Amino acid sequence: MLELARYEGRHRIRGAAAATAALSGFALLYIFVYPTFAESLGVDIDRLLEAYPDALSKAFGVQSLATIEGYLASELYTFGWLLIVGIYFAYAGASLIAADVERERMDMLLSLPVSRARVVLEAFASLAVPLVALSTAVPVVVVVATEVVGYPVPAVDVAAIHLLSVPYLTTCAGIGLVASVVFDRAGIAQRAAAGVLVGLFFAESLVTDTDFEAVGVVSPTRYLDPNAVLRESEYALGDAAVLVVATLALVAVAVAIFRRKDIE
Amino acid sequence: MAALEVEGLTKDYGEVLANDDVTFAVEEGEVFGYLGPNGAGKTTTIRTMMGFQSPTSGGGTVLGHDVTDEADLIAAKRRIGYLPANPAFDEGVTGREILNLHASIKGDERRAELLETFDPPIDRKVRDYSTGNVQKLGLVQAFMHDPDLVVMDEPTAGLDPLMQRAFNDFVEAEKERGLTVFLSSHVLSEVRRVCDRVGIIRQGRLVTTERIEDLLHRTGKFVRVRVAGEVGAAAFDLDGVHDVSCSTTDGRQGDDASGADDTAEADDPPDGETVGRPDAVDPRRVDGPVTECTFTFTGDVNELIAALGERRVLDLDIEEAPLEEVFMRFYGGTDA
Repeated sequence: MLELARYEGRHRIRGAAAATAALSGFALLYIFVYPTFAESLGVDIDRLLEAYPDALSKAFGVQSLATIEGYLASELYTFGWLLIVGIYFAYAGASLIAADVERERMDMLLSLPVSRARVVLEAFASLAVPLVALSTAVPVVVVVATEVVGYPVPAVDVAAIHLLSVPYLTTCAGIGLVASVVFDRAGIAQRAAAGVLVGLFFAESLVTDTDFEAVGVVSPTRYLDPNAVLRESEYALGDAAVLVVATLALVAVAVAIFRRKDIE
Repeated sequence: MAALEVEGLTKDYGEVLANDDVTFAVEEGEVFGYLGPNGAGKTTTIRTMMGFQSPTSGGGTVLGHDVTDEADLIAAKRRIGYLPANPAFDEGVTGREILNLHASIKGDERRAELLETFDPPIDRKVRDYSTGNVQKLGLVQAFMHDPDLVVMDEPTAGLDPLMQRAFNDFVEAEKERGLTVFLSSHVLSEVRRVCDRVGIIRQGRLVTTERIEDLLHRTGKFVRVRVAGEVGAAAFDLDGVHDVSCSTTDGRQGDDASGADDTAEADDPPDGETVGRPDAVDPRRVDGPVTECTFTFTGDVNELIAALGERRVLDLDIEEAPLEEVFMRFYGGTDA
């Protein structure tokens, strides 16, 4: 078992390293800018927020920039992590099966004595490589860099936001995986998955505090709140459990679809 | 027990009925050629038998395992080798890595021996492979776990004539060892040497299955001949000639046979009159009209040679009749 996951995982190492380097650089940039930003605006910093359009503040989870926790929660984690890394995993998930079908490699793979369920599950499992790389390197970078600039963030909270984001990212990858078994072309699957994720991201933030709040219930972003974790040290384990269940459900749907599918 | 059994297989893609109630069996130890023109439905049958798509109705077995039951089919796949029509591998990895992956799942007891026979550049990335090398890598993976049944879709496509011969030798040796082979082709001549029996499919329907000798006896040759002079179709009125079609051209206009010589003669004056030159030493060159005739020939080749001997033959091609021609002749070309 796991021969396919190991094989595909090996070929994700370079991509994972590149993504980790990019996100670490992104985090460093934000963190090193913060002291200048905070000191030049001083106590007026949150008055800047009042100038933000309300919808924008909500979309990017901008609650307070007066503390580095609030700053990181909105700028790095809501925008960088929930949206950008979320899209990255949706994309990666979307190319798993569809790319092999599109490039006519799936016949060769399925000629091996492996079940279709195994092909889907092991391909999905290979995403553990970028997931682990990002979730271990970036928090270390954040903790060390905030220490260096003199605005330390509790390491436990940083570890918590990364740990809680694991089921969030697997849910994003799960959305991509379903797209990759529905569509036969990787490009279409990727656009569909990213479109769904971005749509849900903004839908959730736009319906907050409206009569349509219930609509946001299907958005993965509803179940991870960087502000609560970093500013209040509140870890919503129940929400994380919802994401775990969502991931399992998406993978199960993908397996069910792929098992019945005619490979074109 | 048949090694591969297709039973009433129908696959309807909506706009195309790719397989229409196809039934045949490949016996153990047999090399069976599945022949038909491009688009006839060969790949549909093969891919359905490999479980890549489900039949609209009907089904079949491979090595006694039901192809519509995934778990059952997986058990059979341990003993099946498969080569798709356009084998495709991850481009960014080496052939060796791909073989290692296949080996880790299905075994590779014959890998070394096969690499000696087919010799793809396994330490290079697949991206840098030629079509022929991809095909060779495909052949190695298809046979390396020492399967009992090998299914190949157009295995000789993409191989140069030398490799084609090596492939035929290889399949013959495998047959001696008792291997069952099911292969498809749209070029009869490429597989006639190795096949014991063939099934012919056309527009989704199995037209016939017969022993290869019987088929070859009936198919005939496709002949294309260029002769000097103006000759009518009647000149080839002998037994076994069908569908003669002739066209006469003015020989001085030349064609591909002499064109290369003309360009080589760079010292000719422009617009020079080359016809008057004493170039009769080139037997392909001739003053006056040239007639090109094509026909299908099912008779005695000696009689054809005798008949041609009466004329000045400039060029002669005799090849295996294309399968389409065979159909037109023996199975009715017009009905669908």
